[in-house]
Amino acid sequence: MSHAAASRVQDFIGDPVSEKPPVARAKLEEIFQDIQQDLRFDHELNGCLNCGICTATCPAAHYYDFSPREIVQLLWTENLEGIYDAMQEKIWSCAQCYTCAARCPFGNSPGGLVMLMREVAIKHQMQSAKDVLRPFSRVMLKLISTGNQLAPDMITPDHFADWGPNISKVDAPLKVLRKAIPMATLNTTATAWEVNLKTSVELYTIWEMTGVLSQLEGIDENLFDVITDIMDEKREDWKDFIEDQDNDD
Amino acid sequence: MATKNGNGDLVQAGQRFTGHGPEWKDANLSPREASIATAWVEQKIDKRSMLTNKDRVEDVRDAMWQLEKDGEILVHRVADVHQPVEAKTLYGWTKRIPTTQLWHHKSCGQCGNIPGYPVSLLWLMNKMGISYLDETDQTSCTAWNYHGSGIGNIESLAAVFLRNFHQAYVSAKAQGLPAGHFYPLVHCGTSFGNYKEVRGYLIHSAKLRESVKKILGKLGRLVDGKLLIPEEVVHYSEWVHVMRSRIKNYQEIDVSGVRATIHPACHVYKMVPEDVIYDDEVLDGNRVAVSTGVIQALGAQVIDYKTWYDCCGFGFRHIISEREFTRSFAIDRKIKVAVEEAKADVMIGHDTGCITTLDKNQWIGKAAGKGYELPVMADCQFAALACGAHPYKIVQTHWHASPIEQLMEKIGIDWRAKKAEFEAYLKEVEAGRQDQLYDPRLRITGGPGFKPIKREVIPPPPAQA
Repeated sequence: MSHAAASRVQDFIGDPVSEKPPVARAKLEEIFQDIQQDLRFDHELNGCLNCGICTATCPAAHYYDFSPREIVQLLWTENLEGIYDAMQEKIWSCAQCYTCAARCPFGNSPGGLVMLMREVAIKHQMQSAKDVLRPFSRVMLKLISTGNQLAPDMITPDHFADWGPNISKVDAPLKVLRKAIPMATLNTTATAWEVNLKTSVELYTIWEMTGVLSQLEGIDENLFDVITDIMDEKREDWKDFIEDQDNDD
Repeated sequence: MATKNGNGDLVQAGQRFTGHGPEWKDANLSPREASIATAWVEQKIDKRSMLTNKDRVEDVRDAMWQLEKDGEILVHRVADVHQPVEAKTLYGWTKRIPTTQLWHHKSCGQCGNIPGYPVSLLWLMNKMGISYLDETDQTSCTAWNYHGSGIGNIESLAAVFLRNFHQAYVSAKAQGLPAGHFYPLVHCGTSFGNYKEVRGYLIHSAKLRESVKKILGKLGRLVDGKLLIPEEVVHYSEWVHVMRSRIKNYQEIDVSGVRATIHPACHVYKMVPEDVIYDDEVLDGNRVAVSTGVIQALGAQVIDYKTWYDCCGFGFRHIISEREFTRSFAIDRKIKVAVEEAKADVMIGHDTGCITTLDKNQWIGKAAGKGYELPVMADCQFAALACGAHPYKIVQTHWHASPIEQLMEKIGIDWRAKKAEFEAYLKEVEAGRQDQLYDPRLRITGGPGFKPIKREVIPPPPAQA
């Protein structure tokens, strides 16, 4: 092996014959430090003897090239290249059931560690994260703009053809079916329940103060623009309401 | 033809598996010895010792009380007015489950997709004269999106948790009642697991408390300048569990012929497992007690099956954008086993994502020659049906893709007649005449549309159509 190739393996991660630019060692260290700095890291990683009970019981391991044992080992041994590699695809296989955490004799939470890695993949705007999350944008739009993650108007045969013909067994307009639910908060179609304007405005403050909107902007700028427009509109409505109240007083 | 195994012994072809490495040696155990040698595996897999044989387990509530004593936080107590019933958790610790004056913390997946789930719960509460509030000032826990996408973080999850629970604490003021009157009852299993996990981190991390306090302060959601943390995070299935004997008092339909399988939800009992209810009278205390307890109390047969421990395949992200995984897992590991092995008439769950996954992912199995048909519903929906709830108006079974009609026929419900009644009722709804389980004005406790209303009596149960 030539000296140049050896340095490349030591200093970078990447396919030596690929044209893709390599990932610098400093970047790998930064990514690992971001994972490690989360306050949950030390609670979720306590040691590992490679017993594999987590992988034996993992639903994602049935169908994907994914092993919670491997995730724990990569983090435990601080294998920076392996961590970066796993963040490209493997971490998105995890079904987040936490069966691994329930079974680990060490009290590790591989599923929880996967979440830290997903957050950091988003923070670093990894293309893999953008690709994986593109089809999830409907849920993100609904959640961040309304506080609900799912709404009746999202469950349509177009989006869920594989759910078959019985998405509703009574043939009536969605609006009427929703009005026939005897809980007043559920007589809605665009949100799962009627959300108070005050609630939405408070939620926007939480998103802003916790950096969630920045996360979103980094991963999907178009979605970010749509959501900030909705937020501006609702904040305007809230301002009008408060002014009306003041005038009434 | 004979070959040599790792011991150098001759083994006849087809006699046994010989694919071990050369270091392998046959232990030559007798059947009894083999049983002893592998008993631990069975214990580990099938018993709750899998969860209890661990070090470093603590009751986070001890640290919580200390923080309150130190003046750091305020604890929203389960008070006598909430008429708590005690239950035992995994380690035998006591958990106090409030049974009345409940603030319904709804589930977006249930309300959006399985509305009969929360409606059945409220209907049961009306039957029993339980006081509650269902209001608009709440967000979802945001954890489905978080687990699916990674958008969010521990601070946002904690702030959402404390904001919603603070609203539960102050909500009764809109009715002229004191703070703390209503106690939050969490409908979604993921919310339940997520909130408990977040509560643990809030109690352990001064840094997290400090950052979240700034947010809650800005929202005006501190109490006496302090973060408000609930004494217990309570899942609706826990309420159903401790009320199961009382629910049985209202039973109208015999369900003893029903073979029911239970799907325990991962986020209900695998996240923060030390807080989960186990009961020695329910499957010898070896499984989480909720759901199984109420189904047994109603007289149905609870049938065990080998993949009870598996998740449903929901996957958070997968149910939206990688459903090949979701449906394969749901069919092969859950539905198929429940049908073929347990000969089940129904699968009962206690969480949003599981019910959705198991209910909606059966039809597509036909494409792979796996046309299994198994009714899927929540424990409270089954209980409501057994107590005579209308299968469409209340249990809202028409939103279920699985063949609930099979189950209704088995327990003697004329679903065709009930469906016709409901279709007639839809005409009434179109004309603006709809029934409600409670006074709809109570749903708004502040902001646009709010008018102070004093609630003095619980409305009677709705008339049966």
